[in-house]
Formats: sequence, structure tokens, C-alpha cells
Amino acid sequence: MSLKFGVLGLLAEEPLHGYDVKNRFESLLGGSWEVNFGQVYMTLQRLERDGLIEADGERGDRRKLAYRLTASGRKTLDDWLSRPESEPQQLREEIYLKLLLSTRLADGRLDDLLMAQRRVYLQRLKDLAEFEQAARREGRDDLVLLFKGAILHTEADLKWTDACADEIRNSNRKGVEET
Amino acid sequence: MTRLVELSDVRKLYDGGAKYPALNGVSLGVERGEFLAVMGPSGSGKSTLLNLVAGLDRPTSGQVLVDGRDLGRAGEAELARYRRSGVGFVFQFFNLLGSLTVLENVVVAAQLAGSGTAAARQRARELLAQLGIADQAARYPARLSGGQQQRVAIARALVNRPLLLLADEPTGALDSRSGEQVMELLVELNRGGQTVLLVTHDAKLAARHARRVVSLVDGKVADDVVLQASTASAAELVRVRVEEVVG
Repeated sequence: MSLKFGVLGLLAEEPLHGYDVKNRFESLLGGSWEVNFGQVYMTLQRLERDGLIEADGERGDRRKLAYRLTASGRKTLDDWLSRPESEPQQLREEIYLKLLLSTRLADGRLDDLLMAQRRVYLQRLKDLAEFEQAARREGRDDLVLLFKGAILHTEADLKWTDACADEIRNSNRKGVEET
Repeated sequence: MTRLVELSDVRKLYDGGAKYPALNGVSLGVERGEFLAVMGPSGSGKSTLLNLVAGLDRPTSGQVLVDGRDLGRAGEAELARYRRSGVGFVFQFFNLLGSLTVLENVVVAAQLAGSGTAAARQRARELLAQLGIADQAARYPARLSGGQQQRVAIARALVNRPLLLLADEPTGALDSRSGEQVMELLVELNRGGQTVLLVTHDAKLAARHARRVVSLVDGKVADDVVLQASTASAAELVRVRVEEVVG
């Protein structure tokens, strides 16, 4: 997610001070990300430079300056909202690298590695499901969706781990049969 | 007290000389009051495991003890008695008798186990009430939703107060909402002391509802893990990646 569009989205609701932007952003993401005030401040400056937002009212003490969306900012936000995501899938899991390297080193730690990883995913599924339920109880539908997404990703990670184990077992079996 | 279920080095080879045994040296204990999920891909041996614990099949070697009863050595009559009242089954498909009402479906299971009609009817009504379908008692299964039919199946499984409730993909034929309700029901029954053995290929279901998850691969126990109560914060579980600054 881009902080730029997050900020534009919040300002589309009402003019806000930098500090409010930071707080609202954090609450929007249910504490799943802590925003650094410097980042917000710099983003606001650049959005203003690009004419996407402007000062709402008198420009006095910078800290107290509230911003609102300009027409151009609104258009940029709308364009972004209506565009489906088509970025390449990012596989940044450390486990993937470990697995590749362990396979190369062929030191027999693959099963243990995968099984330990599998346990982490199972526990995570349980934890995420609890958070999803809590969010549902609190009527935070937006967070329900966030956790649901995380659950589906974790399920995929688990399936991938199982598929890796399966591949490794099959190739071991083939190796045994060939010798 | 001994464990409710104790499998020791169980092997199961099916006739026809399959290359690999369906179960290959499985040792597994289930405590009374546990909620255990058995996971694994198709062909991993989970159905075989379930059939052995259910007394529907016998091990080729090794021992299957349930409540101290050696199912591999039990006579047919004893096994039949065990199947009628020692275990309750819940399947993916509800297997209700379409020509009987909801109440009769539950009552019949109790009568088959030797219960008198009056006692059976009372027990059945209690269970239907407990499962939230008392008002459906006089209807026929076909008129019920999938979730309601599965509740009837659960009532039928529980009517003889089984030692062990076996659930084989119990949400497989349900939409996610009904499935969730059925799982909540199983969790509630477990809180009341009912031992539950759930077989599923659904990791989310297993992790979410069972405390212990056993994974079978190629007829062997590949993993056996007790999940902990969560202490993680949301931020430790999900992090929405935000690009640092605008270019």
C-alpha cells in the first residue's frame, strides 16, 4: 500500500492535520503498521508540492497546518481506486531462500526446516482466526477483511510448504529407486 | 486413567498388495476430553486411521485400544456394540434417512443401541434443543438446510453418549457460515467434556478449532503439535507494507 494514496484517501474524508493523518492511518490498519511521523510529514510536503493537496485555512505554525484535497488530488485518488492491482506477486519469504540454499547444500535439514515452518503457519492461522473473530465482534468489517486476507495468504504458505515437502519426498524416493 | 485412544505401531495394508501401506507404523494417543484434528492430503491415511478407531476395520499389525478395548482382537459382536454406542460419527454428507423425521432419525440410533423408546425420545429432544433445532423435530431432512441437517447428524451421533465423536470433514458440504456454526458446536461439545477427533484437509479449520493438530503423510505421523493460546499482537501477525515516501 502506498502512503501517498493512504493520505489522499484520508484527506478525501475531511481536512486533517499531519498528526491526525498519522493517528487515523494507524487506526485504519488496526495497529498492524506504525506510521512514523516524519514519513507522514514528508508525504504531505510532497503531495502539496505536486498540487494534490493544499493548506486548509491560514498557513501559520506548520505543525498546526491542516490539509485538504485539491481537484487534481481527488482525480489522482479516484484513478488509483478504480485501477485493479497488477503488480507482480512478491515472494519475499526468507524461508524460500533458506530452502533453496539448503537444497543446494543437501544437508538433510529440509524436512526439519519445513516442519518447523509449518508449525509457525498453523499457529499463525489460529492466531489470525482469533483476531478475525475479535474484529467481527467489534464491528470492524475493514479489519475482518484485512485478517481474512492474511489468513488466505497463510493458508497458501502452508500449502506451499506441504508442496515443497511433497516434491522433496518424491525426488528422494526416485533417488532411492534409481540407486 | 489411561488414554481414551491408544494406537501403537499400527500398520494397515489393504488387500491387492498396494505398494505402500495405508498406515505405516502409527503411534498416537488421544486423551479424554481432547479436541484433536488429523490433517493430511488424500491418500495420507487419515480415513484409514478413522476407520480403525471407529472399529470399522482392523489393523494388519499393531494395536488399537479405545477405552482399554483392543479393537483389533474384539469379536464381531463386541465391535458392532462398540460402533453403535462407543463412537458417534459425523460425515461430510449427513446420511440422514429421508423417510424419517428429524426426531425419528435421532431416536432410531438410540433404539438400535438398545435404548427404550421413551428414554430415546427424551434424549433426542434434549439434544435437538441443545443444538438449536428443537423446532425442526417433526420435519423431514429434505426440508432442512445443510447446516440444520448436519446438526441432526450431530444429535444422532451423540444420542448414545459416545466416548468419542468422530467427525470426517463435517463442514465439507456446507457453506462457510453454516460450516463455522457446526464447528462452534463441536467446540462447545468439547468444552462440555466430549472427546472429538476431527479429520480434515482444511488447515484453517484444524488450526482454528482443535488444540492439537496431527499431520499424516504417506501413512506416518509427520507432525504432532499442540497449538498455544495467542499472545501475539496484531502487528506481529499482519503488517501492511507502506511505501516510505512519495517519489
